Amino acid sequence: MSRFRHMIRQTLTVARRDFIATVFTPTFLIFLLAPIIMMSFGMIGGLGAASVAGNSIDKERIIAVVPADEGRALLAADARLRPVFRRGDAPPRLFIEPPAADPAAQARALFDRKDIEASAVLRGPLASPTILYGNREESRADYLARLAEESLRDARVPTTLSVATKQPVHRVVATASGHGQAAFFTVFGIFFLTLLLAGQAVGTMAEERSNKVIEVLAAAVPLESVFLGKLIGMFGVAILFVGFWATIVTNVGALLPAGMARGLADIGPAVGMPAFPLLFFAYFTMSYMLQGAVFLSVGAQASTPREIQLLSLPITIFQVAMFGWAQAAAANPDSWIARGAEIFPFSSPLAMGARAANKPELWPHLLAIGWQLLWVAITIWIGAWLFRRGVLQSGGPKLFRGRSGKVPEAAANIPH
Amino acid sequence: MACLGAPRPATTSPHWKGIALSQEWAVTAKGLVKRFGDRNVVDGVDIAVPRGAVYGVLGPNGAGKTTTLRMLLGIIEPDGGERTLLGAGHPRDVSDRVGYLPEERGLYPAMKAVEAIAFLGALRGLDWGTGRKRARAMLEEAGLGHAADQKIRKLSKGMAQLVQLLGSVVHQPELLVLDEPFSGLDPVNQEKLEGLIRAERDRGATILFSTHVMAHAERLCDRLTIIAGGKARFEGTVADARALLPLRAHYVPRSPHDGIQALLPPDAERENGGWRFTMPDEGIETTLVKLIDAGYGISGLSIERPGLHDAFVKIVGREALETAA
Repeated sequence: MSRFRHMIRQTLTVARRDFIATVFTPTFLIFLLAPIIMMSFGMIGGLGAASVAGNSIDKERIIAVVPADEGRALLAADARLRPVFRRGDAPPRLFIEPPAADPAAQARALFDRKDIEASAVLRGPLASPTILYGNREESRADYLARLAEESLRDARVPTTLSVATKQPVHRVVATASGHGQAAFFTVFGIFFLTLLLAGQAVGTMAEERSNKVIEVLAAAVPLESVFLGKLIGMFGVAILFVGFWATIVTNVGALLPAGMARGLADIGPAVGMPAFPLLFFAYFTMSYMLQGAVFLSVGAQASTPREIQLLSLPITIFQVAMFGWAQAAAANPDSWIARGAEIFPFSSPLAMGARAANKPELWPHLLAIGWQLLWVAITIWIGAWLFRRGVLQSGGPKLFRGRSGKVPEAAANIPH
Repeated sequence: MACLGAPRPATTSPHWKGIALSQEWAVTAKGLVKRFGDRNVVDGVDIAVPRGAVYGVLGPNGAGKTTTLRMLLGIIEPDGGERTLLGAGHPRDVSDRVGYLPEERGLYPAMKAVEAIAFLGALRGLDWGTGRKRARAMLEEAGLGHAADQKIRKLSKGMAQLVQLLGSVVHQPELLVLDEPFSGLDPVNQEKLEGLIRAERDRGATILFSTHVMAHAERLCDRLTIIAGGKARFEGTVADARALLPLRAHYVPRSPHDGIQALLPPDAERENGGWRFTMPDEGIETTLVKLIDAGYGISGLSIERPGLHDAFVKIVGREALETAA
């Protein structure tokens, strides 16, 4: 068996052990279903916030202190204009109040009532109304002014002047802004998955160190194989996680309203399909492997759980820094920032993912994946070397000195 | 021990005389050096282990035995010197043909015993299916059949140690390296382990093990080296080691001892109702004639060959032992 095949076999043995040891445990279920817990908290928080906001929205209103006939005209104009607004953007409900003896005082007093939240109040003749409005509520005042004008226009020209025919158009080619959005989602997706999953690699060597298994592994398998095997094992766990949730999300996506699906169709990657999902997967793999190799190497140096915990912060900062850089690259695909992010090994998968969304050429991706693979190997090699020197307290071989399989002359000749 | 360059108190003739090929040596090392900081933990150790032999590396605690074994196996790299393992220049190239039980035992606690053995075999190139099959058979043979599907964390320390030992031989290695294999085992399991080492030797494997318990070495080793202070102090057979010390006599007179010391060799000391002394170079007969003529008679007389323990103490030196302690 060649040395390479031998190494691959040993690597896969370690990977298999790590995969099984992680997946076939009750803890893995908690890990797998963690997003549900996260979403549950989000939903509970959202419901609470929605309830608070709902109470506030129920009370909020715009008010016109006008005679009944003007009030009817205002309500008619409001009924016509309100559908223009999307849900959530619409102004508060319009209420009509008959004017009292002092409409100015009446209008001012509406802002002090506890049972309602008046955001804007109109009084006076519709041709020259006075509109009071609260802090940051000027748009509500503008809406009341618009209603007054529409009411007067209706009074003069009671018929409909124009009837439009609306026809939806579906873009076949994604827009430039669609590429930009795809780039953003790509960078965010790879970053988010890597952030969720690659950080686990930091503590994987701790098990071997605490159980003293590392001595057995180090005697049987090159440390590079141990590191790579652990990384592959954890990546297998990550793939299982991503596969599980991707299946669920895909099925939920099929239930989305057609309008939303059409909206998403505008967000299109420049390389097209099916190259884009393949590249997304390739760059997620590279991102996981590269950052996982760094975390594994750094974590392998830690001798206590406390040290591992302390390492978590700089690791997260490092990930966020790579994300920020890649986002800047996604926003400015032709800039030197983008070139730098594409070349720097640890931001390269994110930035190249963004490039796949922004630019149609495929050949740079082959180069980039090769480059990133090289850096996975370099990172693992350095990590194993540091572990050998720092933890096993081994001396040579030097970092840049190859090892020879030749029998040393002096040792071979001992018996002669 | 012609190959050892460092000064040492006792040597024997080279045991490799007549063996021409390096391939006939399971392990060779020349001038191995390992420094931790500014301290030479191993300082120019030479070792040559013939194939098929049971070879002991003896020494007090902290002598450098474990570091030597780790260098031989390629777990750590030496700072100086050279070594071969099963004829290969780098131990990693023959790792599938080597079994190893480290001093600090280590298994994954969540693994079942049978899986742990198969995993250790898989690391050394044995396929999982064969590994599992052999693991069950070995566990049955070792009287641990009931524990085959139990997780390691459920096993006693001794049982887990035995499982790891079985894991180190499941792939039927040509060379088995055991670092302090008897530590932590009760006498019954020590007996089992001795049986397993003999069985491995009978299968044709070479066994290299370290210990500081002389009794095991005395019973098992074909050859041994004694390391102290990072240096090899002795290399040879158990008989060679014991031959380094003169025979001793224990004499019990028939009548009272008054004035008897003048007739005995100068190193004679009272012990167990008699006198113990080194056998004179010319033999004991002259001394006995004097004692009989003086009327002391002979109630008891025994000639004692020193044990490996005595030889070890003499070779290592009391000072080294005290330093290690």
